[in-house]
Amino acid sequence: MPDLVLGLPLADTNFVDATWIMIVKSLVIFIVILSLVPLLLLGERKLLGRFQQRYGPNRVGPYGMMQPLADVGKLLSKQAFRPKGAVPLLYELAPALTIISAVLTLAILPFGDVQGDVGFYGIDVPIGILYFFAFSSIAFYGLLLGGWASGSKYSFLGAMRSAAQLISYEIAMGLSLLGVVMMAGSLSLVDIVKAQGEIWYVVPQIVGFLIFLVAGFAETNRPPFDLPEADAELVAGYGTEYGGMRFGSFMFAEYMEMLIVSGIASTMFLGGWMGPGPPGLDPVWMLLKMIILTVFFIWIRATLPRFRYDQLMSFGWKILLPIATLNVLVTAVLVVVT
Amino acid sequence: MEQIAFFVGAIGALGAAFAVVIVKNPFYSVLALVIHLVFLAGIFLLLMAQFLAAALIVVYAGAVMVLYVFVAAYVGGIEEPKWDSSPELRIVGPILAVALFIAISIAVLGSGLSALGTPGPDDVPSGFGTPEAVGHLMMEDFLIAFEAASLLLLIAAVAAIVLAGRRREDRKKLPGGEGA
Repeated sequence: MPDLVLGLPLADTNFVDATWIMIVKSLVIFIVILSLVPLLLLGERKLLGRFQQRYGPNRVGPYGMMQPLADVGKLLSKQAFRPKGAVPLLYELAPALTIISAVLTLAILPFGDVQGDVGFYGIDVPIGILYFFAFSSIAFYGLLLGGWASGSKYSFLGAMRSAAQLISYEIAMGLSLLGVVMMAGSLSLVDIVKAQGEIWYVVPQIVGFLIFLVAGFAETNRPPFDLPEADAELVAGYGTEYGGMRFGSFMFAEYMEMLIVSGIASTMFLGGWMGPGPPGLDPVWMLLKMIILTVFFIWIRATLPRFRYDQLMSFGWKILLPIATLNVLVTAVLVVVT
Repeated sequence: MEQIAFFVGAIGALGAAFAVVIVKNPFYSVLALVIHLVFLAGIFLLLMAQFLAAALIVVYAGAVMVLYVFVAAYVGGIEEPKWDSSPELRIVGPILAVALFIAISIAVLGSGLSALGTPGPDDVPSGFGTPEAVGHLMMEDFLIAFEAASLLLLIAAVAAIVLAGRRREDRKKLPGGEGA
């Protein structure tokens, strides 16, 4: 009989902890990542400041450390305003949808193997990476509904752009991970990390890694692919009409997605939790890799200008997709031959 | 617990499916279809078909419905006036619908789905519904059907490109027409 998750025969899982451990570790993962987000916001503004030859935030608290708290306090105390032309229920639902799907995706990031009675991850499902794709496609409806329900042309155009962008880059992203999946012979993220004991997949799958990073920028709407919220043309795209903590939720979800994409990249290509030292250090290595990749995201934001819309589309379909397909074909042949 | 989850999923899926047909605004209709797919994926999960559930969300909710939403948001969004059908259609429509229902019922009952209406096996083999199990089925037992389906999709994709390309050439020939 398959293991029961909360009394439901939902799916086969490779390892199930006691229910109370599950609850505790969900809380731990949630709290750690959620407290990383304000730090990331501060880090981004500080780093951007340095990249642009200025100080960045340095007024609130020592070295501007309290800036994110002040920002969140401001967002929380703002009036929850809804423009006249907005669709009532959907307008409120959109930010919630975005943040819920981001938080749910955290469950599959592995921070370590099973140690004693505890698996150092939310849940290890055999569908693994498909779970990530499923929730990233639900997160998209948050952006789309937000843009559509706002009743503003800027929001609408931003939402439509994000739809086109998502379809174009999701395929390349999926194909870039297929090479890793074929080499590891499993979709489960824990198994994929374990298969990297000899060599991290970033070496044999360097093409896949680069494609995944580019597609990851596009999927998280980060510069240089931030066309859905291009502030020079669309004010703030899908987020134009949002204010207060509703805007804050979109913002939080964006940063959380950045951490998740970094986490998936570390898991699939950079050996996940692997690193020198005792097994107790595993989560530290994983977090470290995630943060390094996130800093790379910020670095790129400071370095590259925004794409033009037609450049974005032709790059995705005419360059990224063929390379990703070729990578899959070559990997398939090599996996069968060796 | 299992029963509750099933009824939540079933009511959600049926309710959303009805909403697809009833709602006047095409945009909401498409959104209802997305909700329907999410509930349906939940029912697949209860049946231990986790790969199917994930594929349903990724492919349909994540790709196909995005295109639908795209189109509905651009051209739809207007409350359609209630379509007043001609009196003949009002009679013929329900008859055709009932006929279709009977045809589908006969097809389902007459097929190999002999387990319908029985409690089903108590024990599901371990690994049922995982990508590995589905992969073995598709690549070993049902290889020809699988390849035929993929060939069909390939033909459809090529045909779509050919048709779209031809229309563009026609437009170029028109005097003063918009090129591409």
